[in-house]
Amino acid sequence: MKTEDKLPPGLPSTHPDRRGEVSFAYRFSTATSPLAVGRGLGGLARRLFGAKTFLINRIAFGLVAVLLLLALLGPVLAPYDPNAPNTNAALQAPGAVHWLGTDDVGRDVLSRILTGATQTLISAVLIVVFATLIGVIVASAAALAPRWADEVVMRVCDMFMSIPSLVLALGLAAALGPSLTSIIIAMVAALWPATARLTRGILRETMTSAYIESAQIVGMSRLRLMVRHAIPNSLDAIYVHASMEISGTIVMMSGLAFLGVGAPPPSADWGSMIAQGQDFITTAWWVSLFPGLAITLSAVAFGLAGDAVRSLADPSSRRS
Amino acid sequence: MVYFIFRRLGLAALSLWGVATIVFVMSRLIPGDIAGVAAGRFASAEQIEHVRETLGLNKPLVVQYWDFLVHAVHGDLGTSAYTHQSVVSGIGAVLPATIQLVVCGMIITILLAVPLGVLSAVNEGRGGDTAIRLILVLEGGVPVFWLAIMLRWIFGSILGWFPISSTNSLNGAPPHVTGFSVLDSLLFGDFSNVLDSVGHLLLPAIALSAPFIATLARNVRSNMMSALKSDYITFAVSKGVPPGRIVIHHGLRSALGSTLTIAGMQFGWMVSSAVLVEAVFSLPGVGSYMYHAIVNHDTFAVLGAVLIIGFVFIVTALIVDLVQMSIDPRVRNVQVGVA
Repeated sequence: MKTEDKLPPGLPSTHPDRRGEVSFAYRFSTATSPLAVGRGLGGLARRLFGAKTFLINRIAFGLVAVLLLLALLGPVLAPYDPNAPNTNAALQAPGAVHWLGTDDVGRDVLSRILTGATQTLISAVLIVVFATLIGVIVASAAALAPRWADEVVMRVCDMFMSIPSLVLALGLAAALGPSLTSIIIAMVAALWPATARLTRGILRETMTSAYIESAQIVGMSRLRLMVRHAIPNSLDAIYVHASMEISGTIVMMSGLAFLGVGAPPPSADWGSMIAQGQDFITTAWWVSLFPGLAITLSAVAFGLAGDAVRSLADPSSRRS
Repeated sequence: MVYFIFRRLGLAALSLWGVATIVFVMSRLIPGDIAGVAAGRFASAEQIEHVRETLGLNKPLVVQYWDFLVHAVHGDLGTSAYTHQSVVSGIGAVLPATIQLVVCGMIITILLAVPLGVLSAVNEGRGGDTAIRLILVLEGGVPVFWLAIMLRWIFGSILGWFPISSTNSLNGAPPHVTGFSVLDSLLFGDFSNVLDSVGHLLLPAIALSAPFIATLARNVRSNMMSALKSDYITFAVSKGVPPGRIVIHHGLRSALGSTLTIAGMQFGWMVSSAVLVEAVFSLPGVGSYMYHAIVNHDTFAVLGAVLIIGFVFIVTALIVDLVQMSIDPRVRNVQVGVA
């Protein structure tokens, strides 16, 4: 990708501050985004794992990369069919044949955790992406709309946020009927208002800044102003918010599945695996224990990665 | 000040209306025929028609919405399709148990989070700080329902230290007066009854508080750190005030302001997390009510529970705001200034 010719005049592209900093956000906005993706994957990798990044952050990004890889390859890596019952091997303790044991109908726990990873992690990421997209679209529409409409949209967000998201998602998912789709819809519905509020706040600030005013004077339309200047400028905060949401989304999703509003029984979902194992925990602890560890590990990894993304975006938060 | 209080009350009323509206929209989202679901699986066409009439489902949507609001204001959220009891009285009977659990969880959260946050901030950058932060990170990621199951298994089943379910032992249940089992035991029973109630409450409350401790302690830590860097602390140090006094009297006091707000919001979130914990420990509470309603596809009961939890959440936020205004002059001045 040749980006040099699009750079604004000023610093030469060989300037130390500019190396590896050229980004799509940079080309659109006047401010360099510290989160900006560098040249392709190499630039991204340098930014995430490079010597300038703290060790703990590198560990966090590494864990997330491994988890996402497992989520993508889960069904392939699974040593057994996750849904095939085998009553001869029911409730076997962890051992050489079944590394993490088997459940009450003889299904391999490790295989179910691996296929569950695909379902849980991919849907958690999807939920956050959808909620972020809707939030940003609503916020920019509100920013462009007349003042009263803006006010109405923000009050609607407030109303959504005055029901705890778990309960809101639980009620919605229960109303829609148990399935993975209804969990995704319910969680997106519960999460978008926070993003919309955040984005609207940043846009409000951005719209009063000098460079937006100058662009307005030059005669740029409001829509173009929003899409090309204001939104790119708030991307950092949106990325940070989104990356910090994933961890909570994983935990909340598994909670919904635990309560039985998730994908119906045969499907391997971490939350429903825990629910299934709790009845015979005294005799077969492994059925509930390992999926819980998987949830905890994912939540911690994505949580640390969220913190790391924040510290990349805002160096002043590094010491707090 | 009075103006602000009224403005805040108005805002709370608006939120309540919003929650009711969202719940109404949700109730109409149910796929299929609501009357058919409410009448039961084996109802005849006539019976379904009768239910449709009694529920007012044959009226226009706007009229239905208005009826729903009027009923909600009068404390009528419909009838549970499963227990055939009024949803409000059903939830009202179990609400005290949930409040008791959440209050207990909140006490544990504050008792652990504030000292941890302060210790972490005072030792900023040293080993103690790192250790505390590491523990908080791990503990913050644990799902409450799983922790509840694990605690029940380890401390209830293996070690036998705590009872594994319910609010009281079979012969120890106090007469139902307030619905708060600990309070009822205090009113009526001997001391062993009180211990029994608290024992039944302890494991669920610990499980419930886990993720909240992490959030609150982090908040205390960052507030405390910025408080300790401020000029008046430097002044107190140079004056020779002993370090313990500086941390507690000078630092913590100013740090706790936003902590109170967070703790107040956590109260509402805890009520929703209680759904998960109560389901594990089979405690009779709003959570169990909601859980059983979901299992039995009792949609009106589910939505009633959503509405009531939203109500608790809004009222808590209101109380926290008012309390904060009365104890913190800075907040008071800012709020009045804005209003």
